[in-house]
Amino acid sequence: MLVIRMAWRNAWRHKRRTSIVAIAVAVGITGTLLSIALNYGMINQMIDTAIATDLGHVQVHARGYESDPELHVQIEDGARAPLAALASLPEVRGFARRVRAEGLISSPRASAGVRVVGIEPEAEARVSLIADSVLRGAYLDERGARVLLGEALARRLEVDLGDKVVLSVQDLAGDLTGDALRVEGIFRTPSSALDRGNVFVRLDRAQALFGLGDAITEVVVRADSRAAAARVRDALAARLPDLEVRSWDQREPALLYLVDLSDQSALIVYAAIFTAMAFGIANVLLMTVFERRQEIGVLTAIGFGRARLVATIAAEALVVTGLGLLAGFGGAAGVVWALRDGIDLSAFAEGLTAYGIGTRVIPLLRGQDFVAPLVVALVTAALASAWPAWRAVRLRPAEAVRQP
Amino acid sequence: MSGGVPVLEARGVTKVYETRGVETRALNGVDLAIAEGEFTALSGPSGSGKTTLLNLFGALDAPTSGTVLLDGEALAALSPAALAQRRLHKLGFVFQAYNLIPVLTARENVEFVMELQGVSAGERRGRAEELLRAVELEGLGDKRPFEMSGGQQQRVAVARAIASHPRIVLADEPTANLDSGTAGRLLALMERLNAERAVTFLFSTHDPLVMDRARRNVHLHDGRIAADETKSAA
Repeated sequence: MLVIRMAWRNAWRHKRRTSIVAIAVAVGITGTLLSIALNYGMINQMIDTAIATDLGHVQVHARGYESDPELHVQIEDGARAPLAALASLPEVRGFARRVRAEGLISSPRASAGVRVVGIEPEAEARVSLIADSVLRGAYLDERGARVLLGEALARRLEVDLGDKVVLSVQDLAGDLTGDALRVEGIFRTPSSALDRGNVFVRLDRAQALFGLGDAITEVVVRADSRAAAARVRDALAARLPDLEVRSWDQREPALLYLVDLSDQSALIVYAAIFTAMAFGIANVLLMTVFERRQEIGVLTAIGFGRARLVATIAAEALVVTGLGLLAGFGGAAGVVWALRDGIDLSAFAEGLTAYGIGTRVIPLLRGQDFVAPLVVALVTAALASAWPAWRAVRLRPAEAVRQP
Repeated sequence: MSGGVPVLEARGVTKVYETRGVETRALNGVDLAIAEGEFTALSGPSGSGKTTLLNLFGALDAPTSGTVLLDGEALAALSPAALAQRRLHKLGFVFQAYNLIPVLTARENVEFVMELQGVSAGERRGRAEELLRAVELEGLGDKRPFEMSGGQQQRVAVARAIASHPRIVLADEPTANLDSGTAGRLLALMERLNAERAVTFLFSTHDPLVMDRARRNVHLHDGRIAADETKSAA
């Protein structure tokens, strides 16, 4: 307590000096935290987009689909077993059956390879944002010969609402077949890849087109939250031992790698910032020791041991750094709060949507984002105080007490 | 030399400083014992070795040869940590430039040594108040050193020096920065503490006033004791 009290008061003996170091720490921390918050906000949006447009929180497939995602790896009998299991599971917001296979879409002017996704319009609306992403026209309804196209794909095919397109596919038997459909709606999601490469038709239309009968290729599940995904997955897997049940992060582990990569990059940035900071802190403390030689001599003379002396100097470094940390944390949290409605990045829309990021990014800070700078800063402060502390301990009290 | 149990004792102490190959003999075979209850002045011209001897007695420096004993214990045999403990528990210091800790109030300065000794907060507070009263600084406990006069600061320094119940207070030129009136009052205070609380004082001084009030005068010259006189009780 004595050490902390003295360190605190000593730190304020030179208000300007202490403030400059603390502000430098605060600016470094705020900048880095904001960069992390923006980065994590983008990654978070990528994950949300992937979940909301394609992955869902959990997917159910026939066993072997992961390694061989082809039509013949199908869930028979209209997926009655998974639907029954899901109906009684807690933390499930919705689930929908899909057929997913490759095909070729053609207009009179162009053609493109696409992924054909057969959906149940009502059920799909509860698990994905396709229904809400329709920009022009309408979402799928009871009428079968309709297709939803992404805006980018429609532009490429030079088609518009009501125009006719032809889907050509290889069916389950290996025969080439096709279907003529009218463009019912044009959608735009935060993922330009999805907009360019996916077309949506009714499930029964897709089943007929691919010759699947009542079989489907996947059941997608939307849980109450991302945190609930693993619990829903495990519960479902226990009830469906003959099927492949995987959560979004198992389907797309790269998304989590991005989070790890971001965290590790932040550590490197912190190391760089605090290495520079360490010299500043050490310099201030060395000046302090130099200025207070007499005082240190007196402290030593009256029985303030070396350990306490080292602790006082380290505590002074920690006080200065801690003030900067608190200000930096407060600054970053304040800016993130002020930007809680998101930052408009529409100027970079093309680049962002390529990664499934919308044009409005909400910076996000997690509790763990504060831990790394806290630990790095405190360790840096302690290390930065080592040299000044060594100098202080080496002072000879008999000489120091007489130095003005 | 006076009788009684020696608190501090120098036996054949020599101290040689070496600067850039040049040796300076600050003390040369000094034998001196300070007994409990003494009020002793160590005088002599500049360079006579007063401060050096005080530093050796204060365990702030080590002799080149000879032995310094504190309560019969040879200081040379002790580790830096043990020396710090001896200074904390057995020695009190008063410096020429007061040397209070500027970030602490007068009361906190007095409490400081007790806090290092592990005395409880309540007891520290009570003792500090009592000591500030004893040095006639009642009501000034919350002042910081820069808010006090030189004489007041030196009285706080005396209170701090005796707060730990030391075996002896070593005072290095305690009146050098004070006017004669303030110096006289400070000496009177220390005399009273010596008489009423049996605090042992050893001063290094140039000040004739201190030498006049001291009951024992040890005069150093060229690193040797030139005279050692004890006044007879009045």
